[in-house]
Amino acid sequence: MKKAKVLILRTAGTNCDCETQAAFELSGAVAERIHINALIEKKDKIFEYDILAFPGGFSYGDDIASGKILANEIKNKLGDRIKKFALSGRPIIGICNGFQVLVKMGLLPDPELFEQVSTLSYNDSDKFECRWVYLKTEKKIKNESNCVWTKNLPDIISLPVAHGEGKFIPDDRKLLDSLNENNQIVFRYSSKDGGKPEYPLDPNGSVDQIAGICSTAGNVFGLMPHPERYIFALQHPAGESFCRGYGWGKVIFQNAVDFVK
Amino acid sequence: MFEIEIRTKKGFKNSHGEHVLSDISGIGIKGITEVEYFPLYVIDGGITSAEVGTIALELLSDKITETYICRYKEQSVGKSLKTESSAGIDVSETAACADSAILPHSAFFVIEVWYKKGVTDTVSESVIKAVKDLGIEKEIKVKTGHKYYLYGKVSQAVLNDIATKLLANTLVQEYVAQ
Amino acid sequence: MKCITDCKIIEILNLSDEQLIELSRKNVLSLSLEEMKTVQNYFKKLKRNPTDVEIETLAQTWSEHCKHKTLTGIIEYTEEKNSKKTRRIYNNLLKETIFKAAVELNKKWCLSVFKDNAGVIEFDSENGIAFKVETHNHPSALEPYGGSATGIGGVIRDILGVGLGAKPLANTDVFCFGDPDTEYSKVPEGMHHPKRIAKGVVSGVRDYGNRMGIPTVNGTVCFDDGYMANPLVYCGTMGIIPKDKIEKKVNSGDLILVVGGRAGRDGIHGATFSSVQLDQESDVSAVQIGNPIIEKKVLDTLIKARDLNLYRSVTDCGAGGLSSAVGELGKKTGAVVYLDRVPLKYDGLCPWEIWISEAQERMVFAVPPENKEKIVEIFERENVEAVFIGEFTADGKLTLIYEGDVVTNIDMEFLHNGVPKPTRPALCKIKEEKIQKPVEMSSSEISEALKASLSDLNVCSKEWIVRQYDHEVQGQTVIKPFQGNNVEVSGPGDAAIIFPYTVVRGTKKGIVLSNGINPQYGKINTYKMAASAIEEALRNAVAVGADIEKMSLLDNFCWGNPDEPEILGSLVRAANACYDMSKSFDVPFISGKDSLHNEYSIGGKKYSIPPALLISAMGVIENAANTFTMPLKNDGDKVFVLGTTRNELGGSVLAKIKNIKYGIVPDVHPQESKDIMKRIYRAASENLIEACHDCSEGGLVVAISEMAFAAGKGVKIDIDAVKTGKIKSQETELTAAEILFSESNGRFVVEVKPGNEARFGEILEDAVFAEIGCVNSDKGIVFESEKNKIKIQEAPEVLLNYWRSTINW
Repeated sequence: MKKAKVLILRTAGTNCDCETQAAFELSGAVAERIHINALIEKKDKIFEYDILAFPGGFSYGDDIASGKILANEIKNKLGDRIKKFALSGRPIIGICNGFQVLVKMGLLPDPELFEQVSTLSYNDSDKFECRWVYLKTEKKIKNESNCVWTKNLPDIISLPVAHGEGKFIPDDRKLLDSLNENNQIVFRYSSKDGGKPEYPLDPNGSVDQIAGICSTAGNVFGLMPHPERYIFALQHPAGESFCRGYGWGKVIFQNAVDFVK
Repeated sequence: MFEIEIRTKKGFKNSHGEHVLSDISGIGIKGITEVEYFPLYVIDGGITSAEVGTIALELLSDKITETYICRYKEQSVGKSLKTESSAGIDVSETAACADSAILPHSAFFVIEVWYKKGVTDTVSESVIKAVKDLGIEKEIKVKTGHKYYLYGKVSQAVLNDIATKLLANTLVQEYVAQ
Repeated sequence: MKCITDCKIIEILNLSDEQLIELSRKNVLSLSLEEMKTVQNYFKKLKRNPTDVEIETLAQTWSEHCKHKTLTGIIEYTEEKNSKKTRRIYNNLLKETIFKAAVELNKKWCLSVFKDNAGVIEFDSENGIAFKVETHNHPSALEPYGGSATGIGGVIRDILGVGLGAKPLANTDVFCFGDPDTEYSKVPEGMHHPKRIAKGVVSGVRDYGNRMGIPTVNGTVCFDDGYMANPLVYCGTMGIIPKDKIEKKVNSGDLILVVGGRAGRDGIHGATFSSVQLDQESDVSAVQIGNPIIEKKVLDTLIKARDLNLYRSVTDCGAGGLSSAVGELGKKTGAVVYLDRVPLKYDGLCPWEIWISEAQERMVFAVPPENKEKIVEIFERENVEAVFIGEFTADGKLTLIYEGDVVTNIDMEFLHNGVPKPTRPALCKIKEEKIQKPVEMSSSEISEALKASLSDLNVCSKEWIVRQYDHEVQGQTVIKPFQGNNVEVSGPGDAAIIFPYTVVRGTKKGIVLSNGINPQYGKINTYKMAASAIEEALRNAVAVGADIEKMSLLDNFCWGNPDEPEILGSLVRAANACYDMSKSFDVPFISGKDSLHNEYSIGGKKYSIPPALLISAMGVIENAANTFTMPLKNDGDKVFVLGTTRNELGGSVLAKIKNIKYGIVPDVHPQESKDIMKRIYRAASENLIEACHDCSEGGLVVAISEMAFAAGKGVKIDIDAVKTGKIKSQETELTAAEILFSESNGRFVVEVKPGNEARFGEILEDAVFAEIGCVNSDKGIVFESEKNKIKIQEAPEVLLNYWRSTINW
């Protein structure tokens, strides 16, 4: 059977590309780390891939604001291809800095609109922090989100966060309501038992504790936590495993790889 | 030459300002009740005010949480900072393309911090790259700085203390406090 | 030699001794009279005066920072004990102590030791792992943010420049600061407040390390007033390198390629500056600002070029800039460099400034001419500047050309081996340590002392600092700096383990990193300080599951002015301890570095730092999953103490809190201690260990409390069950407080499941160990001594709070 092909887009300051590649490959895909210059040279190369990933890091040093310069570059140089890729239904993931890029170029929450309508702003604590948090997965009994990335997850999982600008803020109440109605909010920071968390379990003060969102079609997904850092049980602070020594992060990558098969 | 000041919109938290406020009380200085922090950018090199507007809106500010003020200035980047700022910082007069800017309320001080000439300013290099990505193909010069609005009442000596003990390292940075 | 305006001829041939000294001082050359005279004689033979470029090149190459003249020079050492004097001459202290131990131990798995930018040991059949720790003290005192950032940037480049380049996997950092609560009025004029230095240093390491995508996984912070004017900033990087990329060689005819940042005036005189005491008018340009994104781009592309075999050698541009890098690579061949080809940040640099600029983020490569186009393409495709600036020759000379004029033409041999060996006297007066008066404390006094210990700056949680570092980027940090049994509660881990699965796919192995440092002991006895630091580093590693047979060590000396015999004498003793411990633990040193002249004079008064020796340890473990953390796991489990508790409170946390006079500094008993370490590894391989924590600052009571509150659990400990030992025969029995707070080395607290204690006891047979209690959450943390009528009872969350609240800036 043909293996799923993943494009991991990197640039100056990208730094979670290798572990993201490992995560996809351990989930049975072929993943390539491609520098943005190479993609700009051959723009249509993007359509040779089934999945597109924007990994974490500090693209261009996060100068001006996190993800901003890369978002600006992609939008101006690859915008039409990225939009087409997204609207074709192929899975796209943005992790941490990648999420910031997706939000700032406007591919999330609505790839069709492709305008920035929300942001990821400075943490309330005004500092970069690295820690593990609990995430509540938004499983509604009757109306489950159609996010292709977050299927088969339990109600609560834990993942590490590591960011200074992760406070999700939608433009207005209307947008927040529509995100809720369309089940686009797939991860919320929570306490251990699923309740409302306080700092530091709420690491940044996001509106409605939002940690990750997807497009209405469910293929474009962005989140601040790092699923690629929890592929194996031994990566968890207490060695928690969901099965055979794997961590919950792996399920997220597996979902996308299985989806495109 | 344009100076762009990025402001936090009303209703959004100025986290770094709050942090600076707690640092100020942390070094035992009383009398400051609120601090707002805003990044500054100076752009020079024959760009039009329309282009500056695009740069400020599309690049330097966040559409959701921030707004900006552009000021046109005669001096070019690299001229002595002191003369630049003595022109006055009365925002209402010089604001050229303010987009629903919040004007600071009364009784405030301003401290501006800039890198000294020759000190690596990594952000300015990134801005130059990003401006090109925006399609503005001009050879520009960029300088970045920090602006702190301090509300409350303190003496000039204390203000200088805040600048030198917390906000600027005079070895590599210079500041104006008034 | 003809010279134009940009390059000056320096009159030296006819200068008197006084004038030579004045020339060295005026131009910040930091060369001694003897060295200046050697330079003078060399040019007398050439029958000409040197250019400023030549003088600057010699000063850089011969600087303490680059040459380590003191530790490789001649030392006349005198030791005084009970008014008896013994003398010894060291022709090269490093070679006769630390390096000698490595040679004698001759471990097959040591792949590159004391010769490259970092030490390299074997990871598996295909790969080696390299480790290097550097200091960046002086710049961090003046510009804490830029200073520490370029410190971490520099040590990362050491790893990029080891062999043909290693891929960095982890950073470590250790800082020594003044008391952050110092009153502002007590900070010396012209100095930054210790808290500002601390915050600046942390932000610098954070912003550089995080942007590089290298997790900062291990470290510590020591606070002492002695570091107020002169903080210590140690930065370390560990990387992985294919075994066939460890050797490098430059051929004549290879091209010199400089890659990365551009030269500017930043860091001019950084190398010589490291050897000059700080004073209020320190040279401004010695301070550097880094750009981590350029370095990240260099990292990405360097590894690509390495894997395509496009170059024959590489080294980093550190102190001394191109001068050091090209000089080092061309040592055996000779080199010609066209200075006008070096990319500049701005115009106006004169030739010598171009040559010694310490602009950051640069690497220098030796490229075979046939790969010229291919290698440049690799860099340019990712927007990294790469420029050929000359070539390696066969004439054994360093030739520098600027706009057609030869501005330097000297022998490589003279440049590298011409520096005269200085001779320095060293003196050590050994004072006998006395046991303090018995420390009698009531239960409530012990409780108070426990809380004071937990909130002491040297014990308390460094979470505020550590969380700002991305310690999990690359996803390979399996034993983390903070440990708990779930997501929320965290206690201090002993060491870090990296599981390099993204680089070595399918591996099960792990890399352990740990450190040991205790300047408090050094105030009394530097031999014991060094021995304790080594033991602590190894102990920390063993406490997470390391195999003592596969460990290696790095030394980093930070000392005061070596021109003072007693200061140098204390260093000689520490170096001897390194030799002794390395031999008896059978653990080799693989690399090291020293930073001397850590002194600051102001208003005529001299501030000298307390000597500090940082020992960093790196080891390989067979199974990264077979490791353990320090939080207690299950109620009902048994708690053991391994190792002997002696009356050793000299330099301890309790001695500081209670102002105790005298006290013996903890000694190291290598045989006893190594034996226990081996047994722990055996017990671990049989999965008998639920939790393990090393016992260090604050003693047993702090270690056990940490294990309990990290888990949010209680524990019940019988103080009387702890095995004690005597140092002197006439000694009285230890009091409860002495047992609880003694900082004796070689001890571990281990948690074992009820059914496993028999087997655990079998493995430990003949070793000193005792079951002292059990995990029991009913009544909180309880320490009890029936004999002394002592009972301490505290809630875990209360103690956690004491431990956590001190540093929260």
